[in-house]
Amino acid sequence: MIAIDNISKTYGGTTVLKIDNLEIPKGQSFGLVGNNGAGKTTLFSLLLDLIQPTTGHISSNGIKVHESEAWKPFTSSFIDESFLIGYLTPEEYFYFIGELRGQSKAAVDTLLAGFEDFFHGEILNQKKYLRDLSKGNQKKAGIVASFIGNPEVIILDEPFANLDPTTQIRLKGIIKKLAEDQQVTVLVSSHDLMHVTEVSDRIVVLNKGEVVKDIVKSEQTLKELEAFFAGNEE
Amino acid sequence: MIKKFLSFQWKEFTRSSAFQKGIAIKILLAFAALYFGGCALVLGSLLFFILEKSIPNVDPIILVNNFIIFWFLLDLVIRYFMQQMPVMNIKPLMIIPIKKKKIIHFLLGKTTISFFNIIPLFIFVPFSIVLLVKGYSVLNVIAWFISIVAITQALNFLNILVNKNNTVFWITLALLATFGALEYFDIYKVSEFFGTLFNGLYNHPYFIIIPIALAAFFYYLNFDYLNKRFYLDGAISKKVKEVETSDLSWLDRFGKLATFLKNDVRMISRNARPKQVLMMSALFLFYGLIFFTQDIYRDMPAMLAFASLFITAGFLFSFGQLVPSWDSEYYKMMMSQNISYRQYLESKWYLMVLAVLVSFILSTPYIYFGWDIFGMIAAGALFNIGINSFVTLFGGALNRVPIQLNEKAKAFSNTQGFNPTQLLIGLPKLLLPVLVLYIPYLFFGLTTGIICLGAFGIMGLLFRNYFLTQIEKVYQKGKYKTIAAFGEKK
Repeated sequence: MIAIDNISKTYGGTTVLKIDNLEIPKGQSFGLVGNNGAGKTTLFSLLLDLIQPTTGHISSNGIKVHESEAWKPFTSSFIDESFLIGYLTPEEYFYFIGELRGQSKAAVDTLLAGFEDFFHGEILNQKKYLRDLSKGNQKKAGIVASFIGNPEVIILDEPFANLDPTTQIRLKGIIKKLAEDQQVTVLVSSHDLMHVTEVSDRIVVLNKGEVVKDIVKSEQTLKELEAFFAGNEE
Repeated sequence: MIKKFLSFQWKEFTRSSAFQKGIAIKILLAFAALYFGGCALVLGSLLFFILEKSIPNVDPIILVNNFIIFWFLLDLVIRYFMQQMPVMNIKPLMIIPIKKKKIIHFLLGKTTISFFNIIPLFIFVPFSIVLLVKGYSVLNVIAWFISIVAITQALNFLNILVNKNNTVFWITLALLATFGALEYFDIYKVSEFFGTLFNGLYNHPYFIIIPIALAAFFYYLNFDYLNKRFYLDGAISKKVKEVETSDLSWLDRFGKLATFLKNDVRMISRNARPKQVLMMSALFLFYGLIFFTQDIYRDMPAMLAFASLFITAGFLFSFGQLVPSWDSEYYKMMMSQNISYRQYLESKWYLMVLAVLVSFILSTPYIYFGWDIFGMIAAGALFNIGINSFVTLFGGALNRVPIQLNEKAKAFSNTQGFNPTQLLIGLPKLLLPVLVLYIPYLFFGLTTGIICLGAFGIMGLLFRNYFLTQIEKVYQKGKYKTIAAFGEKK
């Protein structure tokens, strides 16, 4: 589904990301971990053509993302709050995204109904603008918005941060369910090793812009990751 | 402690991104400040002589006192628009052992030296000096001057108190309009009533106590207000407004673009900055009154063309030049969602065209000044739709200044959404139409000029798709730079 070929990003002489080759097959649930500055958000921004690659290219479904806009209809994402329109209510925002993705109001409503638990009564019918919601609730709205319109690629940057424990557990359930669907490729980054191992089939560790681990999840994965980040393994 | 605060303020000022912008903007701003300051100084020094000459039988100080109420009302209206509320990052100070009162005093004290309180000094200091030179009583003049300063400060504090309140603003504006109308049409001499008050202030220096008490009173109210709300959930918390939803389904007739148009309408109606721009652009409608009412401009079609163009261009110019900055807060989303650049630009274009049409309809009363004038306005509107809309959109591609939607623009301390490129792009928008009208006028008369102006607009419309394609290319090319610039925190 996604093919990363010889991609690198350099800011004024400092290389922040350099990946020679990485393939993410369709339907895989892909987890990305790394410390601050490891290049996680840079990689996701390159995937969404929000920054220009210094070398190489990324293809999504055979489309080079920095050459054509044709990847947009089947890709959706939530990177940070700048993906929300602050002056809209959550409902208006969901319908707006729905209209952009060719979904009727009724279809959006049906989708939202499935997330009632996840919203925990704090998102819909609050008579509040998105900008006035708490960080956690903004995140909930943004994450659910990225599920609108049957996307084939979903990119979530640190979806677990700022969420309360109940919501984190519910979100894990939602992502796992998405991962079961063999049509949907989910990419999730996180600082929380436990969460990310739980929801992913495959985990890639970035360190200083380079892939240092690429593991298929097994019983030992969490231990292995903890050992790596504790610095016990060299 | 005060010294520390001052140094914080200085750092906040010099390290703000507005200040760290190009040297060109700094020079421009300095010029603007000098210009306004200079104008005020000249006005202040000459006011006495102008009044003496134009209305010889009345003492200038009495005249000034008669009409000063209009100055104060206008002052209040402008303050409402432009003056930013005193904000200091007090959150980190709350848990530090500094007396609460000290912080509040500093915060309020800071507002007394705002631009809006300084400008009146530029007028009234020279005016008072002239009075003294002319031999007016020293005591009276000085007491009067201090009273004026005190009233200015009182307005300053009053504005801080009521600024959040739209009703007060409309009442002030209504008062100003009513007083103006009563005065102008000789129904009731407002100037006489208020003149008595202010002349009393001048004639009896001991009345100085009243304005000073007034200023102190408003200061106290502010102090009390802040003192009682010096908590995280009090005065410094963000006000959460109840949502206002309105039915925008009438926009659905625009098909695919309706999605964007609805969004833009909501953006304008729910955010402080675009609202401010909208009100400003409404003022453009009255631009013609300056030119059409005076006979000297009758034979200067270039000036008339200028005015006619402006009448319908208010929104186009003031809103349009900040495309795409209006969407800067969520630009990343717009760029990764299922939207093509073309659709995005087209919807902005429609919005501007719609605004020109609405302004044109609102400008029908100008028929009063004759059909040729109205014809010129119509031709100007066509030109705005057919040419200027595209030039404006094109200029937007070079504009990479992020806007904070829900913050008002400040006077002179805020250059958000302003850059020299904009200025350069702005020139052809004004000069081209004047030339298009003026050159044919020289050879074939006014009617031909008007027709030419309109014809240019229609021609632009015919090339619409070509223009939009070219503009789209420019936007595509600057995409990454724009995203990066909008991503920077203010």
